[in-house]
Amino acid sequence: MNQPPAQITLHQWRQRYHDLCAAGLRQPPYGGPLQRHVADGDYRLLKLRFDNSPAALRLWNLLLTEESRLFAARDQGKNIIGTMKDLGTVPVMAYSLPNTIAFYPDGAWWVPCIMVKSTRDLSIADTHGIDESFCPVRAMLGAFITGQHFPPPDLLICSVGATCDDFSAIAQRLSSLGWPILWWEIPARRRPDPDEPAIHLPGLFHAPLSQVAFVKAELMRIRDALASVCGHPLDDAMLSEGIKAANRARRMLRQLRRLVFTAPRCPLPALELLIAEMLAIHYCSDREETLAVYQDLLHEVSRRISSNQGLFSPDAARIFWVNPVADLRAMNLLEDCGGRLCGTEFLFCHAIDEIPENVPPMDALAMMALADPMVGSASDRAERICHDASQLGAEAVLISRIPGASHCALEGGLFREMIQKRLGLPVLELEVPPLCDALEPALRTRIQALVESVSQRRAR
Amino acid sequence: MICAGIDGGSRAIKIVLLDADTQQILASGACDQGIDHNALAAQLFDDLLQRLDLPRQAVAHIVATGYTRNGIRFADTTVTEITCHAVGVRRLMPHAMTIIEVGGQDSKLLRLDTNGFVRDFAMNDRCAAGTGRFLEVLATRLNTSLSALGDLAARSAHPASISSTCVVFAESEIIGLLASGTPCEDIVAGVQLAIAQRVAAMAGRELIDPIIFTGGVALVPGMRQAMEQAIAHPVTLPPHPQLTGALGAAILAAREVKVGS
Repeated sequence: MNQPPAQITLHQWRQRYHDLCAAGLRQPPYGGPLQRHVADGDYRLLKLRFDNSPAALRLWNLLLTEESRLFAARDQGKNIIGTMKDLGTVPVMAYSLPNTIAFYPDGAWWVPCIMVKSTRDLSIADTHGIDESFCPVRAMLGAFITGQHFPPPDLLICSVGATCDDFSAIAQRLSSLGWPILWWEIPARRRPDPDEPAIHLPGLFHAPLSQVAFVKAELMRIRDALASVCGHPLDDAMLSEGIKAANRARRMLRQLRRLVFTAPRCPLPALELLIAEMLAIHYCSDREETLAVYQDLLHEVSRRISSNQGLFSPDAARIFWVNPVADLRAMNLLEDCGGRLCGTEFLFCHAIDEIPENVPPMDALAMMALADPMVGSASDRAERICHDASQLGAEAVLISRIPGASHCALEGGLFREMIQKRLGLPVLELEVPPLCDALEPALRTRIQALVESVSQRRAR
Repeated sequence: MICAGIDGGSRAIKIVLLDADTQQILASGACDQGIDHNALAAQLFDDLLQRLDLPRQAVAHIVATGYTRNGIRFADTTVTEITCHAVGVRRLMPHAMTIIEVGGQDSKLLRLDTNGFVRDFAMNDRCAAGTGRFLEVLATRLNTSLSALGDLAARSAHPASISSTCVVFAESEIIGLLASGTPCEDIVAGVQLAIAQRVAAMAGRELIDPIIFTGGVALVPGMRQAMEQAIAHPVTLPPHPQLTGALGAAILAAREVKVGS
């Protein structure tokens, strides 16, 4: 069943799947051949290259079956909570309740990318005044209106304040169209004044205690609303259990990242690692399966490392990647050009940091919410990027951008400045549109040039 | 031993044949780009060899660079134009710290470290406003040639104000300026400044002298002055600015042979 690690096409996965089944592959209920997702409309898969392990197959299948899982949850009478503009805090609360799952409607921004714009989501958003000048997350508006990608949630929760203006506008339009939203405010994280009581947050940040107290009060409102909608009280003991479960997933992901980033030969492609990291935000609507997927990936990566197997050249340039990409092909391109991931900061690194378990759960969750890189300053984020890139031995940093989706138009320049000043590393800013086929030569040139810079520095 | 560098640009193909031992340029040439990149490059390559009365086998190693580098099948390897321009310019101008390269369809800014290695780069290949394409559109609109634009610009006393953000809209502006009686020379000078301003916007604040201006657009009279005005720094042209990418590729080809042997 074990083959040497390789990246294979969807077409090659057909034979690989057949061989795995013949060898006795055990699959979860959502398992099956990868190519079936193309029949469901996920045409972008035809352009990608995938890791050839059963663990990667399970990862992809979990990701690509979320829609049917959500509709099945509705049929089973589960409580479904939509947690918008929240990268990892409110889902922890929702999953602490019995018979309740959380999902991330903002994730619909990916639908037109994976489905190669075959859905009407974007054109529907256009007709409601949310045109292409907005962030691609506007696809969410179309997804709500068509009802094709997820069922209407029992409760929609959305943070506002120090979140992106585009998203706030889109969520307000959604509200005006009749979807009730429970809004909560997340303030912009600020540095404490000299004499102000302050607290250290996960992820090297710190904030005034008063801000933590404010966010905690906001989260208390959410706790009450969740309890009311789900018909079950949500007490501290339940939240603590929820936090422990979340931390199990986060620990596994952190271990996976550490192994992938530090192994002499890269044991998992960038594409699969990006998907694995994204699961940490909301578990793809199934926390237990996310844990199982992480377990399989950890097992596979450990096996490859211990048998001295890996992908790509051992000399591959060690690249630290900042921000997620809309077109997953970009992740394949990195490796085509002679690079490999040695670290990431995909904008939701706080969903990977462990939630404190030595403080009351609502305080811990408030601290996590304030540790979100998007509610802090770009310079705070740059500090963390520098810290992580240095710790992980990065040889270059790649900052990707999605057109129309910058959280701070100037952040790339600021990151570049700080990285070059502190670490002296080459930095590349790369704009990756949702479908980058026509721009592939240009993207390839840039990434290849970055890798060449690394080679030159090594030679020196 | 002879090595070759081929720069398959979007508008022109440039080739340099280099004596790897003496590092002297033996021959160089350029031709227009077309549909069959490989055949056009091969034709130019063979022409240069014929000039030296050499067979193809005399060339030990070929590095292709530029937009069409992967389509030049007789090259031994490829290197990006970013690296090649840095190597080529540094050979000609050893103290260069910043390179501005403006080609037919893209523009680049390279920051070098003191050793001549690329420290950082930015590229514009999404918008024609900062490229030679703007000049082509202008020449067509004015019913003149690219080579005549420089002379026209030199006669301008009051460059016209042209949008530097979009060639399509700028063409409308040009039509408007012509209709309002603005002299052609002022329009040409205005467009040159608009291109330079676009490049300056890409360059940002951090520009370290000496700044070298390369690429086919650097050959257009008046562009150097426009660039200096836009970035508020002195700008130097290397000898044969169109060939720096091909020269860099040839130098890298020679280095690869040396490392290999």
